[in-house]
Amino acid sequence: MNLPPEELQAIRVAARWYARLHSGITTDADRADWRAWLAADPLHGQAWQRMAAVAEQMASVPGALAAPTLSDTHQRSRRQVLRSALLLTSAGGLGWLGWHSQATQNLFCDHRTAVGERREFQLADGSTVLLNTDTSINVRFDGQQRRLELLRGEILVTTAFDPLRRPFKVVTGPTEVLALGTRFIVRSQARGGEVAVLEKAVEVSLLATGSRMRVEAGQRLDFNERSLGALRGNDVSVGAWQKGSIIAIDRPLAALLDELSRYRPGVLRWDPAIGDLKVSGVFPVDNTDLALAALESGFSLRVTRYSRFWVQVSGGDRR
Amino acid sequence: MPANDLSLRSAVDVLYSDHHSWLQGWLRKRLGNTFDAADLTQDTFVRVIKARTALDIREPRPYLSMIAKGLLIDLFRRRSLEQSYLEALATMPQEQHPSLEEQAILLQALMEIDRLLLGLGPRVRQAFILSQFDGLTYPQIAERLGVSIRTVNNHMAKAMEHCCLMQIQLQLS
Repeated sequence: MNLPPEELQAIRVAARWYARLHSGITTDADRADWRAWLAADPLHGQAWQRMAAVAEQMASVPGALAAPTLSDTHQRSRRQVLRSALLLTSAGGLGWLGWHSQATQNLFCDHRTAVGERREFQLADGSTVLLNTDTSINVRFDGQQRRLELLRGEILVTTAFDPLRRPFKVVTGPTEVLALGTRFIVRSQARGGEVAVLEKAVEVSLLATGSRMRVEAGQRLDFNERSLGALRGNDVSVGAWQKGSIIAIDRPLAALLDELSRYRPGVLRWDPAIGDLKVSGVFPVDNTDLALAALESGFSLRVTRYSRFWVQVSGGDRR
Repeated sequence: MPANDLSLRSAVDVLYSDHHSWLQGWLRKRLGNTFDAADLTQDTFVRVIKARTALDIREPRPYLSMIAKGLLIDLFRRRSLEQSYLEALATMPQEQHPSLEEQAILLQALMEIDRLLLGLGPRVRQAFILSQFDGLTYPQIAERLGVSIRTVNNHMAKAMEHCCLMQIQLQLS
């Protein structure tokens, strides 16, 4: 290798920083130290870019498939393969799905999923978080609190009892969601988001104004940067993604296609003329081609594929 | 064409005509099949041409068999990886399988990652995989491997440095 020694040294130190920032128990002080190191020398920035390139290559495959495949082949035994099979099925059939991820965007987050991927993680306190498609989160646990930062996407949180009695919070954009012993979903969207509670309750506060609202099991609440919305009841469609489907009940086609495109790499377009058409049904998110086929046959629409990554939905011929 | 390119080329020609069938026989004995042996023989000569070393070779057969051995190991490793990959895929519901085209891309990507990991100790490799692909935190990895969190952290730093240097090296070659 013909790299100058100072560059090799910078790579070694950058690798140590990478390790420190991906422990799952990183503190704000660690991150401040890292920023100082990064700013100290352009060589440091260069070396960090190289870490980014490695991370990007790792993110080019779905973890659920990469882990069992790459576990050392010399030590592989039948039992190990069976064990990973059990792990996969016990995660509730979450499994595979696309690997078209925005790796660099996600380099600085603790957990992420690619478009079309769904994965569950266990946190240090025993709580679990299920990441829906195209989601990134940071985990910030310290002596005072258990805090998740939802950077993009959607998560289902199931909190565990904490012997230290630290509060459990999810922060996303303008709001903070305080869990009150519970199972709930938080979704982050362009200018706000939504919280839906499945068990017990949460308290949602808008950080800018300090306004608060308690959301009980069976209820949901949307919000934007300026205000909290009104409480609504959950229907069966809420959280259906954790089982791999979208449930639509008299839903405008445009909203359904919008939802489907979250799970699908590439471009999904539709003719505005059919956007208001009301559709109902259960559509699989793990195979959006199947969902589109169901729409095509069930609602006499026409799905035109210009390529795998470019699909147009328009009204069917009504001759 | 410059003079030394000409002599390099004739050296490759000589090497090829003198040792081609010998190498193919050598590989066939180890692989037990003619098609793979022909492929790897071809690949070996491509390596020699790319390395531009034909003029400096003193002992052609040991040199050629050294390169061929490396390619053999690559091939076995690729097959074993493919096997593991298919086993992992088989544990997933059929309807979630990627298309054949996607599978080919995915397998290629996995092989490239495997090459980066080559040379890591088994513990380091395992810690790295648990962190990167299983999404475990260091305390969780420490518990699973029965080591301290500090050790997991050191494994991770080592693995990242190794992968980074491998990535640079592979890009250069």
